[in-house]
Amino acid sequence: MSLQTPRILPSHLHAFNPSTSGPRSPPAVRLLGTVTALRGDTATITCGTHGEVTLILKPDSHLQMGKLVEVVGKVVEVEGAGLGVRVLATTDWGNPQDCDYKIYEKVVDVTHKLKPIFYDSAE
Amino acid sequence: MPGETTSPAGGKSDANNKTLRPITIKQALDATQPYPDASYQIDNQDVNNIVFVGQVRNISTQATNITYKLDDGTGEIEAKLWLVSNDDDSMDISEDAEKDGGKDKNGVEINGYAKVYGHVKALLGSRKVVNTHCVRPLTDINELHFHFLEAAAVHLFFTRGPPPSAGGGSAAGGVGGGLDEAGGGGGVGGNLPTMSSVARRVYTLLKTEPQSNEGLHAQLIAAKLSLPMPDVARAGDELLTAGVIFSTVDEQTWAILEY
Repeated sequence: MSLQTPRILPSHLHAFNPSTSGPRSPPAVRLLGTVTALRGDTATITCGTHGEVTLILKPDSHLQMGKLVEVVGKVVEVEGAGLGVRVLATTDWGNPQDCDYKIYEKVVDVTHKLKPIFYDSAE
Repeated sequence: MPGETTSPAGGKSDANNKTLRPITIKQALDATQPYPDASYQIDNQDVNNIVFVGQVRNISTQATNITYKLDDGTGEIEAKLWLVSNDDDSMDISEDAEKDGGKDKNGVEINGYAKVYGHVKALLGSRKVVNTHCVRPLTDINELHFHFLEAAAVHLFFTRGPPPSAGGGSAAGGVGGGLDEAGGGGGVGGNLPTMSSVARRVYTLLKTEPQSNEGLHAQLIAAKLSLPMPDVARAGDELLTAGVIFSTVDEQTWAILEY
């Protein structure tokens, strides 16, 4: 299924890096984090206690500082910042306080352990 | 949520299967039918009512139904909400949906998340749609995450049996499916009768281990499962009494009783 978008944490970005993943282009991924910096065409989200990810925004992406966002995008290499994500779509989930990030960590864990019901084959 | 298990959907043939199973969209797409017109099966279990979550990609309002295209990251599926034809308001509803910037009467909007209750139906051969009777917006992200965990828990329950009561060990790892295939006859109805977790593990081993038609000896089972002999013997008695295995060359060698 080409439409799958695995949910991941920043530490999994490397598994979806197109330049190291062989001939097949890896699927888009989903990340969840709080917007902590906005710089015009790039932004930074902080994913719980798992560090930050640089986003390359689309002209029509509108993120707001301090909001929890779910990002669907392709992993790309960002100059001077390691791996980042080129945004395809974002979903605003409002106040980060309303989300228990620990549950999301478990979801990521479970979805990657139980491929039969979630994803055909990630990476 | 328990209250919703009694919601009035249900086909005629499986009206007595009132279970509501949380699934992912991939599971719905992978659901199989043992024969045409049968109930769909997921993990070898008949499924009637299902519930899944997804991000709404499209809402298309027609005269007789509203079709939602949903994506939960594991796949994409369409859900059809049939409008009640003798409902005088039905025309108003569809007009409202267009006026309201892509929101339907429940507030489900494009790119928002929704929770969908319904049952899986095939359309034009292999393409699957979900006939739904309720689509409502999902606004708490924890509910979204909970749903995935619940779907995973239910999947594990059906493929690996109930969680071990305490310290029973999770040795059954990797045993995919097949636990509940026996018991087509009698009142068993596709389920193993209630039994101890040891008995379940013995059954699973018998089911999955390569063997001749003589089955497996209790000693071998004990060794494979690293269980003491008396436990295996007791589990064997339980399975023999339940009629799901039978003894072959001697009292201590068992094989699965298949119908």
